[in-house]
Amino acid sequence: MKSHLAGRVSEASVGREHPASRLAPPLESLLALGCTFVISGLVLLFTGHDPVDAFGELITRTLFRTSGLQEVVVRAVPLLLAGLAVLVAAEAGLWNIGVDGQVLVGAMAAAVAGSWLDAGGRPLLWSVAIGIGALGGVAWMAVPALLRMRWGINEIVTTIMFNYLAISLTAWLVKGPFRDDSLVTPQTPMILRELRFASLGDTRIHVGIFLALALWLGIAVWLRRSVAGFELRAVGASPRAARHAMIPVAAVVLVALLASGALAGIAGANDVLSTKGTFQAEWNPEYGLSAFALVFLARRNVYALLPAALFLGVLAYGADVMPRAADIPPAFFSLFEGILLMVFAVLHWRPWSRWTGRSE
Amino acid sequence: MNVEAVLTALLSAAILTSAPLLLAAVGEAISQRGGLLNLGVEGSMLVSSLGAFWLTLETGSGALGILLGGVIGVLIGVTFGVLATLGRADQVVLGLGVTLAGTGGSAFIFRERYGSDQPLIAQGMGRPFEGLLDWLPVIGPAVADQRWFIYVAWSLVIVAHVMVTRTAFGLRIRAAGEFPLGLEAVGGNVGRVRIAAAAIGGLFSGLGGACLSVVELGFFSPGVTAGVGFLAIAVAILGRWSPLRILALSLLFGLLTGLDTGLQIASVGIRTEFLSMLPYAGIIIALVAFGRGARMPRALGKPWTGISGSR
Repeated sequence: MKSHLAGRVSEASVGREHPASRLAPPLESLLALGCTFVISGLVLLFTGHDPVDAFGELITRTLFRTSGLQEVVVRAVPLLLAGLAVLVAAEAGLWNIGVDGQVLVGAMAAAVAGSWLDAGGRPLLWSVAIGIGALGGVAWMAVPALLRMRWGINEIVTTIMFNYLAISLTAWLVKGPFRDDSLVTPQTPMILRELRFASLGDTRIHVGIFLALALWLGIAVWLRRSVAGFELRAVGASPRAARHAMIPVAAVVLVALLASGALAGIAGANDVLSTKGTFQAEWNPEYGLSAFALVFLARRNVYALLPAALFLGVLAYGADVMPRAADIPPAFFSLFEGILLMVFAVLHWRPWSRWTGRSE
Repeated sequence: MNVEAVLTALLSAAILTSAPLLLAAVGEAISQRGGLLNLGVEGSMLVSSLGAFWLTLETGSGALGILLGGVIGVLIGVTFGVLATLGRADQVVLGLGVTLAGTGGSAFIFRERYGSDQPLIAQGMGRPFEGLLDWLPVIGPAVADQRWFIYVAWSLVIVAHVMVTRTAFGLRIRAAGEFPLGLEAVGGNVGRVRIAAAAIGGLFSGLGGACLSVVELGFFSPGVTAGVGFLAIAVAILGRWSPLRILALSLLFGLLTGLDTGLQIASVGIRTEFLSMLPYAGIIIALVAFGRGARMPRALGKPWTGISGSR
């Protein structure tokens, strides 16, 4: 009964309170993944595909080839950053559904900053562009965060609206003020290839992976090993109890949301600085909902985000290769992630407990 | 330019284009009144939209297609309701899952079925009252010359309003969202009432999706709702869960969108992308101006875990 007094996404409501589930979280995640594979496999079966073949093909192409593995890692980097963005907000009991918009604004800001700074050399360009990208994400989160803090206006609705605003705003900027007029397609001036993120050896993996890993470790330490992180999680678990413990709840909410926006902005900057080199009109990676699937696959455990991000990277690269390899449209992988989220939502449902008499 | 003709076209287009948003928002309002925050509207609309489009194309009957859209909406709504009440799912996670699965699923099935084709629904729908109100300038033709489903949609909204505000069943729905313990105390079943509210909400969002592909556009394409489902959630909150206020709001939204298109055609020298921010910026400003005092249904989003807390 306490669960609804606790934050809306408190750890309590996700696991601790259900003594019937004694499976360790990693096992639960594997169980949920298994269910998702079965359900989506049935979908494949009904649409005339061979699910065993299809998933086999997916695994060989992503995990048993060096090129595939590299692509998986490259795709896992922005997903890990977006997952961190969702997690930081979720740990404070907040829902950042505006990751998509913050990624777009962060990417655009980084692309513009990067194209202006072609004189200073790589480290300067990288750090400035990442910083500006983070600021872009923060700026895009600022209004929803302030509305939430000042008047308690639900951040779910405002962050969703800001996604659509971001699509229109960046489209306007890239076709107007920031357009590179020497190119046919509307995009910002290209960042020179030799100024973008360096590749590691002759692989496709680039230094963005160190950025993501450093932020991942930093966030893990912040959330789990610092007073500020403890306060943040306390607010997420129970804002009322946190207030009684003299934790400045409003300030914590603001910090959590802005940090979330900054991480999403960095995810956008990573894409511009690594693979794309520019911000193109109509480009929208839509990491937001995948990031939710990622965070729940990791059972909201910051350490488990890394393997979960790699798995989501497998799906993301699968969406690229499977259309040609097995004639499966990329949309199948959104369906897969959606089913995964739904399975996680009902993970603690034990419909049979009513008949077996085991109380939950 | 004939001012009267322009205004008539603007209002007529606003009535047509706001119908999917109106239906979805009313559905979301009923679901939220019952305490269920359903973020799966977008996915539900897309799947229903595809189903309705498919059956209309197969049978040539828009009515059958829309009916199928409604049925699919009810099925998705009931699934959401059952998982959110009996399954005690976190509503936000479940809703986002439904949206992601619905977006991906509808696009997947569309590509499997039609490949890269883009079939169109050829025959239009009847306009039963065409010309009846021509003596009334602007409003007359704009209101009377709509396709028949628009009148069905508006009637359903009025029925929903009466149901929510004037009937015992509506009271039960509101109780399930405001004070589930009280409903349980007078012998009601919170779970059952919430599932019913989710089913009605699903019906409306399914009809909204069907209206989009069959009545408004005449085609389906992956992601065709373009955020109408999410917009509906904002409009439901902004309209404070009253179907009539939602009707007024979605008309206003339709007019804003139409104005934006009109300004683009008149080419006033502002970029189209900039103008397309208007409706969303308008919603946020309206939320700040009027949404501040809005009191959400008290038990919205909270799982009902029984009187003792553990069933």
